[in-house]
Amino acid sequence: MKPISQPTSRTTRLALAAVVASLALATTACGGDKAAAGGAAPDAKPVTLTYWGWAKGAQATVDAFNKTHKDIHVRYSEIAGGPDGYSKITNAVKAGNAPDVAGIEYTQLPEFASQGLLEDLTERAGDTVKQKFPASIQDLVTFGGKTWAVPYDVAPQLYYYRTDLFQKYGIAVPKTWAEFKTAGEKLQQADKNVHIASWPDNDAVLLAALAWQGGGKWFSTEGDAWKVGINDAASQKVASYWQGLVDSGVVNSIPAGSEDETKARTSGTVASFLGASWSAGGMTVAMPKLSGKWGIAPLPTWDGKPASGGYGGTTYAVPKGSKHVKEAAEFSRWVTTDAAAVTARLSSLTSPSSALPANVEMRDVAAKAFKGGAYYAGFDVYKIAGAQVDTIVPGWTFGPVQIATNTAITDAAAKGNLTQGLTAGQASAEKGIKERGLNLVK
Amino acid sequence: MAVPLARTPRRRAAARPGQRGAVTVLLVPFFALFGLVMVAPIGYAVWMSLFQERSSGLGFGGTERVFSGLGNYSRALSDPAFRTSFLHIAVYCVAYIPVMIGGALVLALLLDSALSRAKRFLQLALFLPHAVPSMIAAIIWIYLYTPGLSPVTGWIESLGGNWAFFSADHALSSMINIAVWQWIGYNMVIFYAALQAVPRETLEAAVVDGAGELRIAWQIKVPVIRSSVVLTLLFTCVGAVQLFNEPKILSSRASSLGSTWSPTMYIFKAAFERHDYGLAAASSLLLALAAAALSFIVSRIGNRGKTA
Repeated sequence: MKPISQPTSRTTRLALAAVVASLALATTACGGDKAAAGGAAPDAKPVTLTYWGWAKGAQATVDAFNKTHKDIHVRYSEIAGGPDGYSKITNAVKAGNAPDVAGIEYTQLPEFASQGLLEDLTERAGDTVKQKFPASIQDLVTFGGKTWAVPYDVAPQLYYYRTDLFQKYGIAVPKTWAEFKTAGEKLQQADKNVHIASWPDNDAVLLAALAWQGGGKWFSTEGDAWKVGINDAASQKVASYWQGLVDSGVVNSIPAGSEDETKARTSGTVASFLGASWSAGGMTVAMPKLSGKWGIAPLPTWDGKPASGGYGGTTYAVPKGSKHVKEAAEFSRWVTTDAAAVTARLSSLTSPSSALPANVEMRDVAAKAFKGGAYYAGFDVYKIAGAQVDTIVPGWTFGPVQIATNTAITDAAAKGNLTQGLTAGQASAEKGIKERGLNLVK
Repeated sequence: MAVPLARTPRRRAAARPGQRGAVTVLLVPFFALFGLVMVAPIGYAVWMSLFQERSSGLGFGGTERVFSGLGNYSRALSDPAFRTSFLHIAVYCVAYIPVMIGGALVLALLLDSALSRAKRFLQLALFLPHAVPSMIAAIIWIYLYTPGLSPVTGWIESLGGNWAFFSADHALSSMINIAVWQWIGYNMVIFYAALQAVPRETLEAAVVDGAGELRIAWQIKVPVIRSSVVLTLLFTCVGAVQLFNEPKILSSRASSLGSTWSPTMYIFKAAFERHDYGLAAASSLLLALAAAALSFIVSRIGNRGKTA
């Protein structure tokens, strides 16, 4: 009889999880009620905002905000980054107990906005976004003529390389992708175990950034219809270039964010990697022994002229159903454009953040507060990254079905190759857009 | 066997007429919980499966829920990814079940044989992996599969071999290995318990007739516990339909498995990645139907085994 418990025990566990989840939701719902009570009597109590995020130093930022603001009190809850965290936010919105502020990356923003999961911030934060942020960044938070979020950081791509290994093997920092390939081949000839870089099979966002740099436009709008260009010539060129490097063994396949990746970097079997400004901070903690051995350069380009895609970056958005949009917008403005916020975020960290603020004035503040300067002796992350912001190729938009598209690409690429991944991504995106009832340019 | 079992409750009910009230009181908590955590969610899933979320234009003007009838069901059934996920499970079963059930049977017979020592210890040791939550087990195995971190890959290399556990060719066998490790001891314990019910006189008669250990095992013990083997086998099938933890965690490293390897992974993705609750609900119900059909077959074959 016992084997029956194979299926049932799973069901019980699921049921338990459901009970726990609903209890958790009930708790947050209570928080919402309290906040509502505060809103009703503004003289007596400050408005309480709930804020869900995972950004480094968020708690310290919130503490600093609460110290200086008497009329708004923010309560921070850390949630998981990546798909799990986004699911949590989505489910909370659908259940009617969403937080007042949530950290959402540029990649996910159009999807959140188009699924009706966000409050329109045009009225409350539209001017802030217009006045305080560069035009290229405004495009990433403005869709359909409405402002959906306040941008925090901007993530131009950067090239991190091991200065000691490059010197040992006599390799110059590549300025073009052709040079990158030649350098990789030279490394392979010198030592079969050393690769110039590793290629992450599971990271469609990197492929997107590289396609972006190469002039691809995965999503764009024409009138009130979406246009999907994942399979466009520029993206295909990028995909077949990297597939070629993988096939010939110049780069090796290692999943992004895995233990292997860290190991490959610490052991020196990978001599460089494609990152962004935010990569710098984590490295100082993850691989302290390599202090002073990393160099930072602009990413190689196709024609030698500076160009970059965007690789990550977070915004502050107000999930649908918040009763305090005004206060939430004020908090978002403060977090992204107030020097006290940036200082608090960076100064309290055990692991230094190196995110590059999207607001130009905040960059100097962040650069001063950054603690990892000694690790990259001779290379100023903020200066190099800051200079790259202007090279981000304009006209890129993430799509309303970006998350499923990314998975379709990585799934198909893992089974076949990167160019097939793009074909699958194109098909998945077109299907997803039509299924949601959105207009699609044929 | 069936007659005394059926008689017992009837006699009791007749003996104590006041028990009816007590029975009601005792059953209420069960049915209340059953209704709350089983019937109500299923009903809600059925309701959800009939709707789709739609927007228009670029999609920034908000969304609305529209009734779509069986639209979500036809979307699930017409999606090759959903259909292939069932195929994956079938292939998995074909490779996994003989290894796991066969292995459990051999272990149980070995333990039951007169020759074995330290039976209690071995039972516990073999059962122990089942006590590890499958999520944790998968994470442990990922570590053991990762080249450079794992001692196992190191040993294979020092012997001059090379085995990429996460590669497209070996991902399935890596997953089956985790499942076998988890379930072999559990099923072994069931077989071992069934073996204890084999009449000692039958075994003695076989010994007197001159049968060796091997012959006793295959010609007497296995036929006697046949029905529990059949049941375990089919319950394993039903459990396999719901496979989630192992492929989900393994797919983070063995990307060739993809994000929709098993039906439950497909549902997970529909709900929590695409936020398409209608599709997730419809495909969940389709999976439940498939599992129900399998359970029906299980009980039919199981009963046949009993009467035979």
